[in-house]
Amino acid sequence: MSNQTQKEQSLEEINRSLYKEGLTDGLPVIPPTDERVEEMLRGTDNPRDHVLGEIGNNDNPLTVEKLASNAVMAGCLPTYMPVLEAGVRALADPDSNSIQFSVSTGSWAYQWIVNGPVQDALDIESGSGAFGPSFHANQTIARALGIAYRNTAKIYPGEKDMGVMGNPAKFSFLAGENEDSSPWEPYHVTNGFDEEDSTISLAGPNSWVQWFPHENSAQDVLRGMIDNTPESMRASSGEDLNATITHFVNPYNAEELEKEDLSKEEIKEYIVENSYRKTDGTSNSMLDTDKVVPRQVRQYDDTDSINIVATGGAGRVNAIAGTSIGGPVTKKIEFPDEWDSLVEEYSVEREWVPTEGFYD
Amino acid sequence: MGLITPSSTGNDAEQKPLVPRVTSLEGKHIGLYDNGKPAAEPLLTAVQEKLAQRYPDATFEWYHVEHLNQIKSDDEQESVVDWAENVDIGIGAIGDCGSCTKFLAWGIELIEDAGTPGVGLIDEGFELDYQSNAVERGRPLRYKKTPVRCETTDLDRVREEVSNEVVDGIEEELTRSLNDKERAEQVAQ
Repeated sequence: MSNQTQKEQSLEEINRSLYKEGLTDGLPVIPPTDERVEEMLRGTDNPRDHVLGEIGNNDNPLTVEKLASNAVMAGCLPTYMPVLEAGVRALADPDSNSIQFSVSTGSWAYQWIVNGPVQDALDIESGSGAFGPSFHANQTIARALGIAYRNTAKIYPGEKDMGVMGNPAKFSFLAGENEDSSPWEPYHVTNGFDEEDSTISLAGPNSWVQWFPHENSAQDVLRGMIDNTPESMRASSGEDLNATITHFVNPYNAEELEKEDLSKEEIKEYIVENSYRKTDGTSNSMLDTDKVVPRQVRQYDDTDSINIVATGGAGRVNAIAGTSIGGPVTKKIEFPDEWDSLVEEYSVEREWVPTEGFYD
Repeated sequence: MGLITPSSTGNDAEQKPLVPRVTSLEGKHIGLYDNGKPAAEPLLTAVQEKLAQRYPDATFEWYHVEHLNQIKSDDEQESVVDWAENVDIGIGAIGDCGSCTKFLAWGIELIEDAGTPGVGLIDEGFELDYQSNAVERGRPLRYKKTPVRCETTDLDRVREEVSNEVVDGIEEELTRSLNDKERAEQVAQ
């Protein structure tokens, strides 16, 4: 301790204080000082007291200023504010069901998909390792939204957040859709937005499976999408509970599906028609017991309960996230007047791979 | 160096007193509130059987939330209040997961809103969750912990687990006089 500078001690003390009050996600945070929050607010034209959404038991208001404070803590840049604001609107949308999945024993996570030009502007990764560590925007945007939800709804593990196991994906679960490599219309266009719009989409799955097809062919990819969906994942769209499953398809396998002229909708129809899960064959309280009980039932009730997103880099590994009991909801990202200059000011070019000059 | 707190500062619920308890369950019209979780109906069934044995003159009326999530709708909430106005006491189940414990507290709150004393039945592992949701909503709502574990729907097993001690406890929460905090217009959090 004695070797620390005054500034370092202050950082440590503030972190300890914020942790003590339950205002962090357990990782170290950047102290949300007046100056840092002021700088963060350059990313929005909305006033500080503008309520972006109401969250939790008592519809607690989440204002622009509070969001900026959480964004500072999570390490965000001011340029991320438009994405964060749209993310809050998604969380506050009743269709997101965040009030339930945020506190459930199932430890559901916030799954974020970003579409549109904002991906390039903010260097949101959609290729190799997009859901993993290393990408500043991917990691800190999701982190900020998670902390903001917690600090607004005032939920804590074991008290209102009753996730039995917890979920590492609650720290960060965000990627862009790999629109450049995708043969299909982008996810946000499927959801009714223009291709030039930038959006963020929210769902609430609690599990994640990675798999790869035996051969790089459309048939094997389709078979793999079905065979690798665990029986515990069940999907059905509905008014009371929208239970959905998202298939993240890598560019190589998406290409194989495109060679067979398969659209996202046709792939969904194939999955619904061919996915079944076993029953115990003897009883099911949901069925009329006067009739013969089926040995298997549909795993996906309808195509609305399936989402397909092209994401990831080179290779043949795909992923399935589900079952989501939240959303999906998609919100358009609105930018401030000074957006272009702000992006220029804060953009960082990655210089990670030291091959420059060796292969010229 | 000033900090801007990241937590929300608005909408702390107005603290309200609980509805006065009844003196006895004898001859009462007892409301059984099923919050839509699978284990709620068998638990309340077992409680109803025990209470019917103790109080042959008591009558029972159920309210079923068809799906847990429906309690979020204004129409469903109004319907619960309408139902609760016509019973003498309300026993709700079950708090055995994060969202159902939250929504059970909402349901018991609606019963109290109707002027009817209520008690929630919870899995003992969800006590702090129930308390926290109740206080945040504005009342230290009463509850009784049961040994019926999450998602137990085997009625025979539930019947065994709903012991006389459990039923005694439910009666206690519905008849014990309110303490100062429960009576107060403003309850300190």
